[in-house]
Amino acid sequence: MADTALATQALPGTGGTAGTPGTAGAPGRAESRRGGSPLSWFGMPVLLAVILGGTYLWVSSLELDTIEQRTLNVEQLTRSTIEHLHLTAVSTAIVIVLAIPLGVLLSRPFARPVVPAVLGIANIGQGVPSFGLITIVILWTSLGFWPMIIGLVACSTLPILRNTMVGLEQVDRTAVKASRGMGMSPLQVLLKVELPLAFPVMIAGIRTALIINVGTAALGTFFGQGGLGFIIYNGITLNRTPVLVTGVVLVSALALLIDYLAGALGRLLAPRGL
Amino acid sequence: MTTTETMAQPGPTAAGAKPMIELVGLTKRFPGTAEAAVDGLTLTVNEGEITVLVGPSGCGKTTSMELINRLIEPTSGQILIDGEDMTHTNPDELRRHIGYVIQETGLLPHRTIAQNVGTVPGLLGWDKARIAARVDELLEMVGMDPATYRGRYPKELSGGQRQRVGVARALAADPPVMLMDEPFGAIDPITRERLQNEFLRLQQQVRKTIIFVTHDIDEALKMGDRIAVLRNQSHIAQYDTPENLLTSPADDYVSDFIGAGASLKRLNLSRVRDIEMATDAPTASLSTPVAEVRAVLLASTWTSLLLLDATGRPARWVNSRDLARAEKGTALTELGLPVEAIVEPHATLADALDELIASNVGCTVVVDGTGAYQGVVDLETIMTVVRTVRDEYERFHLAQKLAQQPADGQVR
Repeated sequence: MADTALATQALPGTGGTAGTPGTAGAPGRAESRRGGSPLSWFGMPVLLAVILGGTYLWVSSLELDTIEQRTLNVEQLTRSTIEHLHLTAVSTAIVIVLAIPLGVLLSRPFARPVVPAVLGIANIGQGVPSFGLITIVILWTSLGFWPMIIGLVACSTLPILRNTMVGLEQVDRTAVKASRGMGMSPLQVLLKVELPLAFPVMIAGIRTALIINVGTAALGTFFGQGGLGFIIYNGITLNRTPVLVTGVVLVSALALLIDYLAGALGRLLAPRGL
Repeated sequence: MTTTETMAQPGPTAAGAKPMIELVGLTKRFPGTAEAAVDGLTLTVNEGEITVLVGPSGCGKTTSMELINRLIEPTSGQILIDGEDMTHTNPDELRRHIGYVIQETGLLPHRTIAQNVGTVPGLLGWDKARIAARVDELLEMVGMDPATYRGRYPKELSGGQRQRVGVARALAADPPVMLMDEPFGAIDPITRERLQNEFLRLQQQVRKTIIFVTHDIDEALKMGDRIAVLRNQSHIAQYDTPENLLTSPADDYVSDFIGAGASLKRLNLSRVRDIEMATDAPTASLSTPVAEVRAVLLASTWTSLLLLDATGRPARWVNSRDLARAEKGTALTELGLPVEAIVEPHATLADALDELIASNVGCTVVVDGTGAYQGVVDLETIMTVVRTVRDEYERFHLAQKLAQQPADGQVR
């Protein structure tokens, strides 16, 4: 059942409307404890290994026809996975570089008047179905890698932006006041106090953006950018269930794996004492 | 009326005391408000003293304090620290030389106790070894074992411990001036009492110039060398020593704020060691023969006699009826009443009175640091002290009033 939930989340294109999972402003997702049970550390890798292994065994047990073999071979699967990761990594990196500084700026008192406008624009990026949004960007510019990236960035800006702002907002005001009172400059307060304390919430936003990008990158195939969407699309158009299932499982596993890695990294990097 | 309020109220200046902080006509008007939050605050704080700003909430006392380290920039007026105008210097630099303690401690949750305490030295560019040594010294000073606590995080400490760390942090770079905004406000009464006492003892050592904000008049009376009672917009209603505040409040506002029981509160300001306690109470050692004990009691004007143990510590109160039973063979240690009301010389008269009322004998026994008997305090002694003090102040202020009358006439 976790599988189906994930498929809709990770594959907004196939699921109809763009699934925008409970994203921004979810500080509850912040991992506050570094420790945690072995299950929280190893549960996900084991689950992924079981799902991937199971799919592999199932596909291997089938007699694949030539049409299926054209998609389900190591070379094609590797290429699609790398394309997918490339789209995800580049778009997420750009979103982080753009949205975090923007979120910091918007959380400063002088920016208060423009906050609603900026959030409104970011909301459009998330509210409009990603398929439509990327189509608009590509109609505007041209078919290609970078227009695709722009589309992905537009879709995933809000969670990082909003979580950066929420994260900074929920920083204990007295800690900030005391830091100022001890003679830290505003920049020192930001770097040494506010950002470390906002980190858990910000990392939650980054995870959400990653998930959105992994899912939306599956649309890359419609715009000539390949990715694992290519395999799913082939499975649908050629009416080959093994191909379709392999594509869906790979996208889902990739999304879960990336989310898990980001979460683990967040837990390791989170400031102690929180 | 307004002229006297906004005009300089120099307050009492003890002979030889050097002014450390001088606020001159300090005013803060927040944008969009008709009334100034702080209106022309003029105040001189002497070196090494604790000056308490006390007033009801919303009177501008915290704003006034934040104007001094310029967390809030004043609209007009001047801040002088040690004679130097600080109104236009770099505020970050200024704050690194002013200790700052706030009610919620404001400890940084993601930093260890050692890192928290070492914040300001770090900002001032001290080297690591020097900071580490200073941190240990300070933790020791506030009564926290450095080895146990330096590596912990704030959330692992109790409220009282956190506040101690807050004080240690404010003292880290040895600033001459400290600002304390209701530092003990969010702590349970028992711990607060202990922290107040510890802090006063610490202040004996470090002798900082401190501005202390509170809304609690009892805390103000306890902590302050001088107290500024504030009304709205930080107008000073009275700036005086605790004793003068209690004996001669400037007006109804001040006496209302002090509240009922000013005479009782005054007992908090006198200590047992400062008064003449009765030393004529009959005493005898537990090992003295009963007949001799009886003779001592008979020779005195008292109805009870205090038995002391071999080390001179008070053991029991006995009266003549107890002694009669002792003659029939009961041991002295089992007779009479145990001595419950005991205070040391540094206790306040309020403590002594409290013990006295709670005890079943009409007086409190005073012992020295080792527990040895010194004398007794009874209701009579306390009454005498209160009466003398009141008479003295009344005479003093009557004389002052008479001396000021011609000057007042000129102003009008």
